[in-house]
Amino acid sequence: MRFVIRRFLLFVAALLAISVVIFAALRILPGDVASVMAGLNAPPERVAQLRSQMGLDRPLTVQYFSWMGGLLHGDFGTSLLTGRSISSTVAMRASVTFPLIVLGLVVALAIGLTLGVVSTLSTHAAVRSVFHFVAIVGGAIPALWGGLLLILLFGRGTGLLGILPSQGFPEAGWDNFGSALTSLVLPALTVGIIDGASLMRYTRSALGEVMNSGYMDQAMACGYTRRQAALKVGLRLATPQLVSVVGLMFAGMITGVMVIENLFALPGIGAGLVTDLGNRDLIAVQSELFMLAAFFLFVGFLVDLLHRFLDPRLKHAVQGGAQ
Amino acid sequence: MTRNNEHSASETVRTNNAPANMGTKASSKFTVVLRSIWRRGEGKFALIVLALWLAVSLLSLVWTPKSLWATDGYHVWAKPSAAHWLGTDGTGADVFSWLMAGARTNLFIAVLAVVFAGALGILLMSAMVSRSSALSNVSVVAVDALISIPTVLIALILAVPMGASVVVIIIACGIGYGLNLARIARPQALLAANSDYVASALSYGASGFSVIWHHILPNAMPTIMVQLSLSAGTAVLAESGLTYLGVGVPSGVPSWGHSLATSVKFINVYPLTVLWPGLIVTIVVVALNVFGDVLRDVIDPVTNPELREV
Amino acid sequence: MPTNSGAYGENDATDKKTTGTAGNETAADNTRSTGANGDAANANGADTAANLGTEANNTASTDETLNAHVKGGSSGNGGKPGNKKKGWIWAVVAVVVVVALIVAFVVVRSNQKASNTAAEGHKADSVTVGLKLAPTNLDIRNQSGSSLDQLLVGNVYEGLVARDSENKVVPGLAKSWEKSANGTSYTFHLNKGMTFSNGDKLDADDVAWSINELMTKHYHDSESLMNFKSVTATDADTVKLDLTAPYDNLLWVLACRPGLVFDKDANYDMKTQAVGSGPYTVAKFVPDDSITLKANPRYWGAHKAKTATIVLRYFADDNAAVNALKSGDVQVLAPVTENLAAPFVKDSAHYRVAAGDDTDKYVLAMNSKGAKTSDVRVRQAIRYAIDHKQLIASRGGADKPLGGPIPSLDPGYEDLTGLYPHNVAKAKALMKEAGYTPDHPLELRLTYANTYGTELGDQLRSQLKPIGIDLKVDVVEFSTWLQDVLKNKDYDLSLVDHNESHDFSQWVNDEYYYNYSNQKVKDYYNQAMAASSDSQRDALLAKAARVVSEDAPADWLFNYRITTAMKTGVSGFPLNLNQTLLPLYNVTYRTSVK
Repeated sequence: MRFVIRRFLLFVAALLAISVVIFAALRILPGDVASVMAGLNAPPERVAQLRSQMGLDRPLTVQYFSWMGGLLHGDFGTSLLTGRSISSTVAMRASVTFPLIVLGLVVALAIGLTLGVVSTLSTHAAVRSVFHFVAIVGGAIPALWGGLLLILLFGRGTGLLGILPSQGFPEAGWDNFGSALTSLVLPALTVGIIDGASLMRYTRSALGEVMNSGYMDQAMACGYTRRQAALKVGLRLATPQLVSVVGLMFAGMITGVMVIENLFALPGIGAGLVTDLGNRDLIAVQSELFMLAAFFLFVGFLVDLLHRFLDPRLKHAVQGGAQ
Repeated sequence: MTRNNEHSASETVRTNNAPANMGTKASSKFTVVLRSIWRRGEGKFALIVLALWLAVSLLSLVWTPKSLWATDGYHVWAKPSAAHWLGTDGTGADVFSWLMAGARTNLFIAVLAVVFAGALGILLMSAMVSRSSALSNVSVVAVDALISIPTVLIALILAVPMGASVVVIIIACGIGYGLNLARIARPQALLAANSDYVASALSYGASGFSVIWHHILPNAMPTIMVQLSLSAGTAVLAESGLTYLGVGVPSGVPSWGHSLATSVKFINVYPLTVLWPGLIVTIVVVALNVFGDVLRDVIDPVTNPELREV
Repeated sequence: MPTNSGAYGENDATDKKTTGTAGNETAADNTRSTGANGDAANANGADTAANLGTEANNTASTDETLNAHVKGGSSGNGGKPGNKKKGWIWAVVAVVVVVALIVAFVVVRSNQKASNTAAEGHKADSVTVGLKLAPTNLDIRNQSGSSLDQLLVGNVYEGLVARDSENKVVPGLAKSWEKSANGTSYTFHLNKGMTFSNGDKLDADDVAWSINELMTKHYHDSESLMNFKSVTATDADTVKLDLTAPYDNLLWVLACRPGLVFDKDANYDMKTQAVGSGPYTVAKFVPDDSITLKANPRYWGAHKAKTATIVLRYFADDNAAVNALKSGDVQVLAPVTENLAAPFVKDSAHYRVAAGDDTDKYVLAMNSKGAKTSDVRVRQAIRYAIDHKQLIASRGGADKPLGGPIPSLDPGYEDLTGLYPHNVAKAKALMKEAGYTPDHPLELRLTYANTYGTELGDQLRSQLKPIGIDLKVDVVEFSTWLQDVLKNKDYDLSLVDHNESHDFSQWVNDEYYYNYSNQKVKDYYNQAMAASSDSQRDALLAKAARVVSEDAPADWLFNYRITTAMKTGVSGFPLNLNQTLLPLYNVTYRTSVK
């Protein structure tokens, strides 16, 4: 429990520190939302007028605390440019990004775990080296290129087998469930194949390590065959590590899919962040960055806890201590 | 349990630790490692590809089949021909020449990103195992908090004041991989820091710096080397992604990411041009990853008996 | 055993260096990798699970305590972990299978659907138009950018007057107007029975209020309404606008944003909603993605919407746009990158591709007060060195060469391409005179926004190289360009697409980023604005434009012409000016029966 509290305090402290860093970093940027709004032909007075209308001429500390004050109330602010609440904008973008990530993870797990386990357990050197090759090459493909290859193969209008929409998200969003889902297939495959290859490597190394450890000998001494031992004991022991990897992979995907979102023209979180940054919509950008950072830290926090409670060795050890 | 741990710890420290004559042995160690890599099939592949990469980079400084700036607005997106081996791009320039020249930019980025990551990683690692508990605690917390911020995000923020620039990629990758490196090398460093050797060195009045240089660094070096060679591959991948997002290599500088990003725009009409840059990146990254994997095996004296003879 | 594991647990949780073992400390101290002893090293970095494998094995395999636990678990609990394990794998497999089935089903169905709709043949209730630049909000009084004009002017909001596809002023809310003899007073006669989409009446009060608001609150473009004195509603259908001095551009300006009429009684969030008097209303607005327009049931005028619903979709990515047209998600695409339009040109049975005239000028500004570009010989040399025909050819060939600041759709146009024909020898000579050769080149920096692609910069660099200019190209974000070039005027060369119309006043504004100032030009311009006839005005503007072009404060790379691609069966879609003025009321889509 003390561990949980300690870890939680760390989480909060990091959040505070990050809010300051984000806020300060964004104020160094050249250009502001007022000049973007005013455009090419506006006289300087008009830009100054817009600045004061938007409250951009207030002292920085005042701006920071009004932002933080909002955050404490769960109010992420209103975009100066779109006039929409940032939380609703982010929620809308997340409704593209999260399903994409989840689909991507499903693909990655399907590929990574299966191939990883099979290649570790296989007794044929040839099978192992083929899988090794697949893992290495899969992990070395640039996401952009992988996506392009899939578009060239399956993209409607472009591909050899034009069966899937290659770009864009239906304008009706998830109300049009069918097209929303199909428009995520190729991007999810891209993400999934590439991350699946690296997941396969982790699975192999995590499992391989357990396989060489004394636990396996003991399991086999208890009457399991090598394969049984691997699936029943080995995978269990490797789980905590894999959970860490998958957890961090999940968090990393939010920005990791930025390139994919751009390539497939999906209105997701990453693509939106780039747009807002370009428009110098700083209130939006700082809240979005803060949410992302908070999310990453939170996943890290969760992964630690999960890792702790999933590791059978550790759990038993802790229980033993409590006796 | 306690006995066993101490035993394994001190053993590792002993085998890797050669403070007195590290300099003279460094070069022979290097050749042994290279030779061991070369002896493996995949290691051979990695070395050949990396050597080619270096050679093409150097060659491109003095010669490319066509000048990079020989644009021709009347022959844009031409198909591969005798004049243009891989066709032309959107300005009518020779794709093959741009890819050749791209090799040097990517090499430059990979090397500098790795150097920066190495320096930062070693610095942080030293801080994390420092005897000052304030410094070590703060650095552990900082690394833990920062490591979850993805490289792309760092690059996006950096790019705003700096614009698209090679420096953005190098710094962003350097920070990201440096943090990672510090975290991964830390257990090794801790192991060394708590060894009897360090204790006795400290009791003789050795400075913190000398302890790090003579005792901790040599122990963590194999891990660091492996991690850095993997990072080099990731840096090449990051270059193509960041350049596509418009925060990487600036316009007019040849790079594989640049070739990929410009050809993406016309994939509907000229799908072939997109193949080459991606293929090259994949091969090079495979080589770097394989190199890292093989290096992991051969750099460890426990698994590579030859190293013990040096 | 209990004591052992107790010590272990405490150590792990409290981070106190109680035991002297290196392995234990590793585990205890590291916040994320809280695995058992040996595990710490590899669980640690996600990236190097295997790195320290040897270490882990050494310690883990000899740890009796933990081994005992595992043994107890697998034998004592009667294979419970095994079952758990199996369940976990099956769950993953099941999820994968289910997801795959759903996806496959949906893919098959959506493909069937796509082929079904194509077979029908009637006038569609809804037309989807693909565009490029998306508006960030709907606040047309504050937000700059042609995408808002394109979307709202004439569709949702209407102006006192309007302009047609030839860029000429035509009646709008006002059916007629008179100009006083001295040119300083205009009287507008409004249509009768006009209403806003919310049901409010639109009369002279709304007109006067809108223009007064514009001028007192300095809304966007208010500065283009020059010499403004006052505006009053003399009765419900008549508006009188007075100027301090004649201003020939007035009517055209009133056809743009300054002339738009808003409902003075309505209260709504202008960033996300729009209440106007036009044939369409905004039904749904998704920033950066799409806007749905529905026919305004209360529309008062002659431009009644022919299609009930028009969806505007914005594609930042050109490939996505082209694919959307190919797959039938959109029926019209404007603009389509010319090089990408080839497949549509070939398939003339299903698509129509055409280019329309526009006022987009790709202006390569050369800082007239810049340290290196103040030398007129350098600027002239650059103009001679640029091969405009080649630039246009590489873009597909639809664009028009442009020799001066006024494009063909604006008053005062004259073909000035003969002033600086492509002539490398002359360019070299001028550069040599200025003191530069290819061996001792002049280093210049070109700054432009990333929206224009990298090709133009690369081409200019290669074209300027032989005459002794080493061009460094900085492709930046638009906001950075605004700061560095527009605001701080810190640049050598800049490239931007000035898509505004009637914007010659830029060249008489000393404060503008061009840093250009010529009294002769100002005189001509002022005379033109006070001219008594259109032909006199045009002649004066043409003279002014010629002087500007001769002074070479910029090079006009080309006059960008918008290429539009649409399905056959689409009609009424404007080709000219459609990036700034896109009246949609006439658009219909009729699928042909085969």
